[in-house]
Amino acid sequence: MSGSDGDSGDERRARIERLIAYARRIADGSDPLGEEARRRLTATTGLSREGIELALTEHLEINPSEAELSALLGSAAPRTSSGRAPRCHVVIAANVCTSALRAIAVGLATSPCVLVRPSRRDPVLAEMLVRCLTRDDGFRASGGSIERVEDVSPSPGDELHVYGSDRTVAALSAAAAPGVVVRGHGTGFGVAVIGSGIDVRSAARAVARDVVPFDQLGCLSPRMALVEGGAERAAAVGEALHEELGQTGVPRGAIEDDERAAIAMYRASIEAVGTWREGPDHGVGIDVTPRALPLPPAARVVHVAPVSAGEVPSLLAPWSRFIAAIGADDEGELLRAVARAAPGARRSRLGAMQRPPLDGPVDRRPA
Amino acid sequence: MAVMAESDELHARAQAFIEASLRGAPHEPFDALAAAIARFQMERVPAVARLAAARGIRASAIARESDIPAVPCDAFRLARIAAHPPEEDARLFRTSGTSQGAGARGEHPLRTTATYELGAIGWGRRMLWPDRDRLRSIVLAPPLAEAEDSSLGFMMDRFAEVLGGPATFCVRGGALDLDAAAEAAASAREANEPVIVLGASFAYVHLLEGRGAMDLSLPRGSRAMQTGGFKGRSREVEPAELRRMIAEALAIPEAHIVGEYGMTELSSQAYEGSLAAALGAPPSEGDARDGRHGVYLAPPWVRVTAVDPASLLPVPAGSVGIGRIADLANIDSAVVIQTSDRVRVTSAGIELLGRAPGAVPRGCSLAIDEMLGEGRG
Repeated sequence: MSGSDGDSGDERRARIERLIAYARRIADGSDPLGEEARRRLTATTGLSREGIELALTEHLEINPSEAELSALLGSAAPRTSSGRAPRCHVVIAANVCTSALRAIAVGLATSPCVLVRPSRRDPVLAEMLVRCLTRDDGFRASGGSIERVEDVSPSPGDELHVYGSDRTVAALSAAAAPGVVVRGHGTGFGVAVIGSGIDVRSAARAVARDVVPFDQLGCLSPRMALVEGGAERAAAVGEALHEELGQTGVPRGAIEDDERAAIAMYRASIEAVGTWREGPDHGVGIDVTPRALPLPPAARVVHVAPVSAGEVPSLLAPWSRFIAAIGADDEGELLRAVARAAPGARRSRLGAMQRPPLDGPVDRRPA
Repeated sequence: MAVMAESDELHARAQAFIEASLRGAPHEPFDALAAAIARFQMERVPAVARLAAARGIRASAIARESDIPAVPCDAFRLARIAAHPPEEDARLFRTSGTSQGAGARGEHPLRTTATYELGAIGWGRRMLWPDRDRLRSIVLAPPLAEAEDSSLGFMMDRFAEVLGGPATFCVRGGALDLDAAAEAAASAREANEPVIVLGASFAYVHLLEGRGAMDLSLPRGSRAMQTGGFKGRSREVEPAELRRMIAEALAIPEAHIVGEYGMTELSSQAYEGSLAAALGAPPSEGDARDGRHGVYLAPPWVRVTAVDPASLLPVPAGSVGIGRIADLANIDSAVVIQTSDRVRVTSAGIELLGRAPGAVPRGCSLAIDEMLGEGRG
């Protein structure tokens, strides 16, 4: 194992490139690794076959630009005066089956020695990537070591990267020894902002592209669409989104009983205050006179409401700290207000919320 | 004016139902009155009308309580659920909802509190003071003037007034005044007059944790009412443990500690029957319902049904579901509400089994549950 001293940027980049090379093979359905991933993910993700194919072919970050890789390396700058962490422990969440790639990439940017604790519910990609790198001569030659572990026990000076719920982040942070640098990426969701000048149909199509991946379970997945321009426009967006979500060609995976119950309760509330639209694989709740914004269940269900810039502070107050991503195609007043309410949220175009560049953790909110 | 006249007529019918049922006298059938209230609400409460329309339910088709669509508790946060305009609010109760911020609190507007008070006091008398007409009160809450939008506070204030004895409100400026509680207990001991202690469960936890060596023991015949969950405010305490601690601190039998089940979105409350059973005072003649802790008895004008969380249809008798609650005192809002509380309903009463978990979060996906912790104001 290389020591942290003398670990050059070139070596770190080389280790990440080895990782990405295997990710490219996983994305390729004709590659044995791709076949293995598709077969195993069927049992672990809960996504449909088409949902898995979508995740692997369009949401694995396998073509980062040089600028993105430089940003990734820069995002892992040492947090202590003693330099780069000797080890990086990475705890990965279950909700996004491709998240292991980015989590391990950030880990490798942080330290040459990475210990990975995969999600117990869905360890597939983490296991495969660790297995491949462990056997890779190029990875070892660049000073890398990687290991799958069942539990993490970082030492002072190590970094601990936690991806998961706020509870998981808090628990592991509390248990970490003094001197361990903890980077937690917890509970979150995305908000789509549809400015007044944006075409309703194209916006709806783009939001649908953001909702479908991972069946809306990621921290970047939009759960709300805030529409600038009044009640009628919001209603039009809601109806268009309902149509677009019904035409994606990617069936939703099986939903569990508690998700079904959450949908039933959200639906009943929306039927009392607005309009409910439903398809076999999605739901849209449209409330054109919002007094509050409910959070619909993460099962391809989107809440649509007209919101003015002035209303943002009160309506988003309960949610601001959870907003990890904002999707928008303009720089209008509503977007500016939402961005002020959620200053740490990652920004992207509509339709690209689930395709963030490989430039560091997806979650940019301050710890 | 037509709305008010219709509402007044329904309030009169509900009050007649309440009074007669408490006397054990004949009264209008539950379903007939529920249906009449629902038809009024389908015409006058926009949210109820929208919900019924979405379900394809016409007012003329409502014949019994089971025909009425239940308004989810969350809807009270999202829209005004009332037949009357805001300027006619006699009271506006709000949920605490602190986890979601003040701007996202549920609201229950009341055009008149007469029916609420009649039912609350009538059933409260049966379940909390069936043995006497006068009690001192120690209220672990602020005076009503400091928390005007709290339905629990309103109810406790009414109880204290009706009971006629000295009343001590032990929360001032947001802080629990332990000295006031101790002084009220001492005064009661000196006068040898029994006390009823009223409060939310978390208030009791604060009382118990902060009392140190204070003597909070109460005279014989005293009792306590506590309500609400045990999470989200102070440390989590199991119900049985809390009861034991209250009994020890107040020097009262555990049977004299009565759990209350109510919510901002309702006008009526259910209680554990332990005190009534201990005093040999069944809620109504021939009522053999359970006096066990953990089983709640609803008044005759409230009907609780366990429904399947996904279909919202009734589950087989005795099975666990989430609570659909019909409250004939909810005249001007929604006569039937849908909660997320897991319940089992039997002939013995209502077992409360905690909140339905909602969709379990995976990883960093925010689940509704993580934001909940909303309670009764």
